[in-house]
Amino acid sequence: MDKKVPGEEIIVVDNVFKTFPGGICALSDFSMRVRRKEVLVVIGPSGSGKSTFLRCLNGLEEVDKGSITIDGIPLNDDKRNRFEIRKEVGMVFQSFNLFPHLTVLENLNLAQILVRKKSRKEATDFSMALLNKVGIPEKANIFPNHLSGGQQQRVAIARALAMMPKVMLFDEATSALDPEMTGEVLAVMKQLAREGMTMVVVTHEMGFAREVSDRMVFMEGGRLIEEGPAEQFFTKPKEERTKLFLSQVL
Amino acid sequence: MKASSIKVGRLSKRSPIVDIAAFLLVVAGLTWITGTGTATLGYNWQWYRVPQYLLTYEEGRWLAGPLIDGLMVTFEITGASLILAFSFGLISALCRLSDSYLARMIARGYLELIRNTPLLVQLFFIYFVMAPIFDLSRFASAVLALSLFEGAYASEIFRAGIVSIHKGQWEAAHSLGLSTFDTYRRIILPQAIRRILPPLTSQAISLVKDSALVSTIAVYDLTMRGREIISETFLAFEIWFTIAAVYLVVTVSLSLVVSIMERRFGDAG
Repeated sequence: MDKKVPGEEIIVVDNVFKTFPGGICALSDFSMRVRRKEVLVVIGPSGSGKSTFLRCLNGLEEVDKGSITIDGIPLNDDKRNRFEIRKEVGMVFQSFNLFPHLTVLENLNLAQILVRKKSRKEATDFSMALLNKVGIPEKANIFPNHLSGGQQQRVAIARALAMMPKVMLFDEATSALDPEMTGEVLAVMKQLAREGMTMVVVTHEMGFAREVSDRMVFMEGGRLIEEGPAEQFFTKPKEERTKLFLSQVL
Repeated sequence: MKASSIKVGRLSKRSPIVDIAAFLLVVAGLTWITGTGTATLGYNWQWYRVPQYLLTYEEGRWLAGPLIDGLMVTFEITGASLILAFSFGLISALCRLSDSYLARMIARGYLELIRNTPLLVQLFFIYFVMAPIFDLSRFASAVLALSLFEGAYASEIFRAGIVSIHKGQWEAAHSLGLSTFDTYRRIILPQAIRRILPPLTSQAISLVKDSALVSTIAVYDLTMRGREIISETFLAFEIWFTIAAVYLVVTVSLSLVVSIMERRFGDAG
């Protein structure tokens, strides 16, 4: 893989706190920077706050304290900012969340037409190009429930890409899939990484993390425990807690 | 996801003859009970006088009798009320789910007020108190009262349908940059409507039946026409049974149309 050069900081997270009702602390004084074209992989035990971190980045969760800025736009109470950020940040969910009452093509076209104000023709052309890219152009006119899990997730990735986002978030995108389907979804994600997409990935796939990530982050209890380049992170972790976790998952 | 397409059919391959026999037995039993009941009543049945109030044949063409005229008014009232009731229902459901405290309270007040008072009282209130102020016709008062009443029940149905849609659908729509309005319009409501079609149908059927109450403010619907005929002819049982049968035909047809629609929806995802 040609090593791309990360650009300027596109995601700036400063001292974020997030506590859920019931007192569960998901993020505690959490700060993070992500550069353009960087692939950041976040790992950690369940309940460590990694998904919450991801969901805060496009405003699906509101932070209690601290600031988040995406590509220069602060994520705050201003609804227009939130709307702008969501246009530029694509998200892929563990449970796909495709729209079951729309065909694959309509799933991809919807936001292009409603949000990007493209014509149906333009949207369809781009959608078909994306379906080709994720390898299932023949499924364009099928309803999502008739697809396998791996195919659904590839459609979900294509749907997020249809908005031409600057950043892609992957929230355990392969956790609901069996190993064979995991492979096909990871292949698409690897291709995206190679093309220079800025990605923040929460995953349990350590092989994928090692191969694709520019930087690894290990979280626990809503805090950053350790971060570093993938090679160093996997071979010579500094923190005891990281070593223990890696010994369990590798 | 596709609960609607699961066939809840008989698993055993029982002969339909058994079912038909059981059905006939029940009908025979009911007929016998009605027969003995009316015999002890000593009522002079004059069914032959009824058809003229439905349809008459004069000078080579069919003319609608007063009951059919009344049915048309019932259709007009229920049609208009249905559209308004579902609008009230949807709007108040959205208000109850909105972030605005004021909107939630107004919707809540509307629901509690309407659901905890009798429809007849509401109808009188609108006709005798509101109508003179706002210059409403009898027809408009009837439609307004019925749609406010049924709308309160439709509201709960809409709300249940909307909250039954998985949170992930909202998140997916929001993460694509869709506004709340677009998310409701293109993602949430199309899915919710499919789920709530059966209870909405029951509500529409209630509306058809409740529309009989508008006869109390002298709107010439099916029931009012029937009362008029009875007061002239004293054919109380014949006319009331005929009216009941006409309502039954309307409501059963409505159910059939909706079940056909449901089957069509079921195919698409």
